[in-house]
Amino acid sequence: MPLRFLKSSAARGATGCLLIFSWWLAAAAAPLEVKLAYIGAINSSAHQGALQGLEEAQQQGDFLGQHYTLVELAAVADPIDASAVIAALPAVELVAVAAAHPTLPVFNVTRPDDALRTQCKTNLLHVIPNTKTLVDALAQWRVAHPEAKTVQAQAWHADFEKYSASQLNNRYREKFKQPMDDAAWAGWAAVKLLSDLAAREQSADPAVLLKALREHLAFDGQKGVTMSFRDNGQLRQPVLLVDHGKVVGEAPVRGVVEVEDLDSLGQISCAK
Amino acid sequence: MRKSFALSLLLCGLCAQAGAAPPRVFVTNESGNSVSVIDIQANKVTSTIPVGKRPRGIGLAPDGREIYVAVSGENMIKVIDPETLKVTRSFPSGADPETFAVHPNGNLYISNEENAKASVYNPHTGKLIAEIKVGIEPEGVAISPDGTRAIVTSESTNMLHVIAIPEHKIVMNILVGARPRAATFSADGKIAYATSEISGEVKKVEVASGKIIGRVPLADDKAKPKDILVSRDGKRVFVAGGRANRVFVLDEKTLDILTEIPVGNRVWGLALTRDGKRLYTTDGASNQVSVIDTAANKVIAIVPVGAQPWGLTIRE
Repeated sequence: MPLRFLKSSAARGATGCLLIFSWWLAAAAAPLEVKLAYIGAINSSAHQGALQGLEEAQQQGDFLGQHYTLVELAAVADPIDASAVIAALPAVELVAVAAAHPTLPVFNVTRPDDALRTQCKTNLLHVIPNTKTLVDALAQWRVAHPEAKTVQAQAWHADFEKYSASQLNNRYREKFKQPMDDAAWAGWAAVKLLSDLAAREQSADPAVLLKALREHLAFDGQKGVTMSFRDNGQLRQPVLLVDHGKVVGEAPVRGVVEVEDLDSLGQISCAK
Repeated sequence: MRKSFALSLLLCGLCAQAGAAPPRVFVTNESGNSVSVIDIQANKVTSTIPVGKRPRGIGLAPDGREIYVAVSGENMIKVIDPETLKVTRSFPSGADPETFAVHPNGNLYISNEENAKASVYNPHTGKLIAEIKVGIEPEGVAISPDGTRAIVTSESTNMLHVIAIPEHKIVMNILVGARPRAATFSADGKIAYATSEISGEVKKVEVASGKIIGRVPLADDKAKPKDILVSRDGKRVFVAGGRANRVFVLDEKTLDILTEIPVGNRVWGLALTRDGKRLYTTDGASNQVSVIDTAANKVIAIVPVGAQPWGLTIRE
């Protein structure tokens, strides 16, 4: 403990000193080391999103005593010493990584394949929405707006502003000088939701984190609704409707289904 | 230190009576870019003051002589004279000021949403006194009645940061539910209550230890609560239920929901009269303020205001 600190806290009186000292002790105790692995293309938007998430996780960890690192792995076959993996991989390799490390949370941040959502691997968690989720969102939108011909469904949009989305978009744009796209959002979200649970559980144990991810996630991904993982590993989430580059709405679509009914989008169960 | 705070509290209590104007409620209209002024006796808007782009947080000087408005779209605090109802001056307040609390000594504690900081300003000189690094997207600010602690909530890192005053150092970080939006202290400053928008709950926290000593889910976690206040007698806690479109009244000790008062849509802001008999709410999606009789737990008047009312403060 530096002498300067002792002197200044003495001046604050006993109570203040005790308080500050106990905080200082807590913060100065060896931080919980949380290692995350990333497999996929370097400098891709998924990778950048994960780095954005890492920076924000550390901003929380600085206050609560966690230290985060992100290791970029070159190949799927590499041994993994981490609490979780963020994977931007083709479907076959994604499944292979999850199968090779059955107790490790593996986050799919790029692949929309519906087939991946019917395999129901316990540790394979899909942060990016699947094709059927996007198709269902479009169908809901067309019920309310039959004239809409050019609308697309997306996980994210760089101009989305609601629910503090603009703050996230601003942070990402400032760091990478690029608009945040779907994969960048998913990479960011994977790191953020994992890190918040690591802080709550005070644990870097993959098995503990996997259980927490499955059972008590409390995260909105800057999309305004509590998200959670379905049994089939898909993250329940709203999606955005975009027309000619502009966000025109959100699904679940108000007036067509209950706005809170995230299960109106995509597969619910493991069955095909 | 404590003595001087107590003294300033006492003095302010006296000088707040000074105004000649009738009791009024000042309401920021986030989309209306204005402040609506409600006459408490008539429950009617008697003036609308244009203040600039996206006004959100609003507060009253301890001596009652000035109203402060965080004009988020202009990165400014604007000062309103509550007698003449004119904007008299303004000062820059750091990036994207969302909301703030007024310290008993008159200083403003502001959350700067865009740059993960809380900043302390002297509103008379416009000078920055301190900057405190906090978590991502700081939002709610509360100051303990004795002025020795502030709480700032960080929405995207889910914490309550307890800040010692006047040191302006963080002494405790408390992890709470997802997207904490507002906090308030008990009268003795020992307990804090905080709302979390995404986990749809209120947490009760022992400030000194940082221990969470109570939790209540609102509307099956679906409420998206925002403002929170303790009743003047300290026995009840009022919570603006956001999308649940009601005010929850909780028992201060147990956090049991005593009753739910239906108000307008997306209720965010809360303010109590000095005698605690009336509670005013901003119902953002209904462009109205609801007036609640706190003894009967009933809405007794609805006052149409500007577009998207956000926050409010009462000058009596």
